[in-house]
Amino acid sequence: MWGAFSSEWVKLRRRSMLGWGFGAGLFFPVLATILTIERAERHPIFTGRHGIRVSYAVLERPTGLVHGVTDVSSLIGLVALCLFAAAFSLEYSQGTLRNLLVREPRRARFLTGKFLALVLFIGLIVVIAIGISVAIAFALAPGKGISTGAWTSSTGINDMLQAVLHTFLAAVIYGVFGAALGVLLRSPAVSIPVAVAYFLPIEAIITGAIWSGGSNWLPNHLLVALAHGGNSDATYSHALLMLVIYAVVVSASILALFRARDA
Amino acid sequence: MTAETTHTTAASAQATSAIGPILASKLSKRYREVLAVDSVDIDLPGGVVGGFVGPNGAGKTTTIQLLLGLVHPTGGTATVLGESIQHPERYLRRVGALIESPSFYPALSGRRNLEVLTRLGRLDKSRIAEVLALVELTERANDRVKTYSLGMKQRLGVAAALLPDPELVILDEPTNGLDPAGIREMRSVMRGLADRGITVLVSSHLLREIEAICDHLMMIDHGRIVFQGPIGGLLDAQHTGLIARPEHSGDLEKLVALCVAAGKPARIDGEVLRVTAEEDWAAELNRLAFGAGITLRGLEVTRATLEEAFFAITDAGTQAAAEGPVEENGV
Repeated sequence: MWGAFSSEWVKLRRRSMLGWGFGAGLFFPVLATILTIERAERHPIFTGRHGIRVSYAVLERPTGLVHGVTDVSSLIGLVALCLFAAAFSLEYSQGTLRNLLVREPRRARFLTGKFLALVLFIGLIVVIAIGISVAIAFALAPGKGISTGAWTSSTGINDMLQAVLHTFLAAVIYGVFGAALGVLLRSPAVSIPVAVAYFLPIEAIITGAIWSGGSNWLPNHLLVALAHGGNSDATYSHALLMLVIYAVVVSASILALFRARDA
Repeated sequence: MTAETTHTTAASAQATSAIGPILASKLSKRYREVLAVDSVDIDLPGGVVGGFVGPNGAGKTTTIQLLLGLVHPTGGTATVLGESIQHPERYLRRVGALIESPSFYPALSGRRNLEVLTRLGRLDKSRIAEVLALVELTERANDRVKTYSLGMKQRLGVAAALLPDPELVILDEPTNGLDPAGIREMRSVMRGLADRGITVLVSSHLLREIEAICDHLMMIDHGRIVFQGPIGGLLDAQHTGLIARPEHSGDLEKLVALCVAAGKPARIDGEVLRVTAEEDWAAELNRLAFGAGITLRGLEVTRATLEEAFFAITDAGTQAAAEGPVEENGV
């Protein structure tokens, strides 16, 4: 498994992969942090013309430090979804999988090692993205007159660490779905659009028009709830439990398929 | 290396030498309606360059993929280096392989591509420089693979196959895309491997290539092995012929009559006479011609090429199949 992990890092550390992965992973949280603070108002007017603006009071809470990041944490998850789907499906479409399986024929170890390398990669993206967002928040807040006292309290630091953990867990489970689609569909040109289509419009259509109760059971709603540490759709513990069950079932099925299928 | 590992390797090598590096019995692979590999029996001796020939779609690549554990058989059994193909992890550390067209990560350099495989197989990193030098890619090793020609990718594929310092090398169409100099170089690499005691199995649809480099031959057609054995034996078993050049072309008709009278079919081909006969009969033909007052200015023995032998065998198989059931793997 270490061989597969180490080998995957040779691919992940190439310049284009670092640029694409970190670029996409950092873009949303950094932008969300800047916009949240820059557009914050002491007494915001919630009308369509002004859009949704956050009040100073909200930002001055301990959770205010990661307010912007938390809002877009599911987008980091979508980056993970695409990254994992691409990493697995490209081995098929480029024809490199056969070479790899000759060097590591223990397919479960190969798949697990590769997955863990991607988990570490997305973990670094999450940590760096939140780290930069936090630095930006501290840099911008004084200029807007937003008090940062609560951010450095033990509650504030705890909230920030929880945001890192929730975003990371959600990204990893998005990654499980991405990896599964990559192995199943064997082409990035198919697996990425299918993944994005399901996790963005399709599930929203299902819960909006067909099954309103689905927001408590369907993976994307649960992932958004997990990333936010729980929301109106699902509590944190329910979302985590359901998603762990989904992840185990999906991983076991994909592993069985990968071992049984001809390369 | 631990004592246990050494013992296992030695035991395995002993087993291999006893039963041959590749041994298959009734090995089959069916894809729905298509029987890609049909009850194949293989016994490749150790230390040879074995050729695996057949037309495109005959089942060469599928057979190789079965031997490498990449596809699962639907029937039969096989061992590679003494281990069952059900457990490829037990022998692939000692096997190098190039499968179909070489596939690499285009955005990574040749060296990085080899590093991916080295790390994955937990192989000795110093092998990277050695194999790059062996295939003469050292100077371009740090360039991205997407800038390589097909021939360079092929050489990189061979380098990848040699990374584990293997006991058995399986190369699927290794000369594809190579220029004549590259083909010659590849032949030399393969012969060099065999000289070091490494068994090489090389598949190709280019029969002349196989004839030039191989000691042992396996012929596959429509998923069935139609011949396997020493290549020399196959060619010797094919019809030889004689070519006679009389001093005067007007004597050709007389020579035909002499041959036919002696029970040897003959035909005129331009300025020469082609006789279907064994090598030994050349002296008799010379005597007959001299006795009839014909002077020969040339008399030579011709042997069947591998291509002629292949078509003779496959045509015979096709004809026999059309006429009725054939004996399995019969030549």
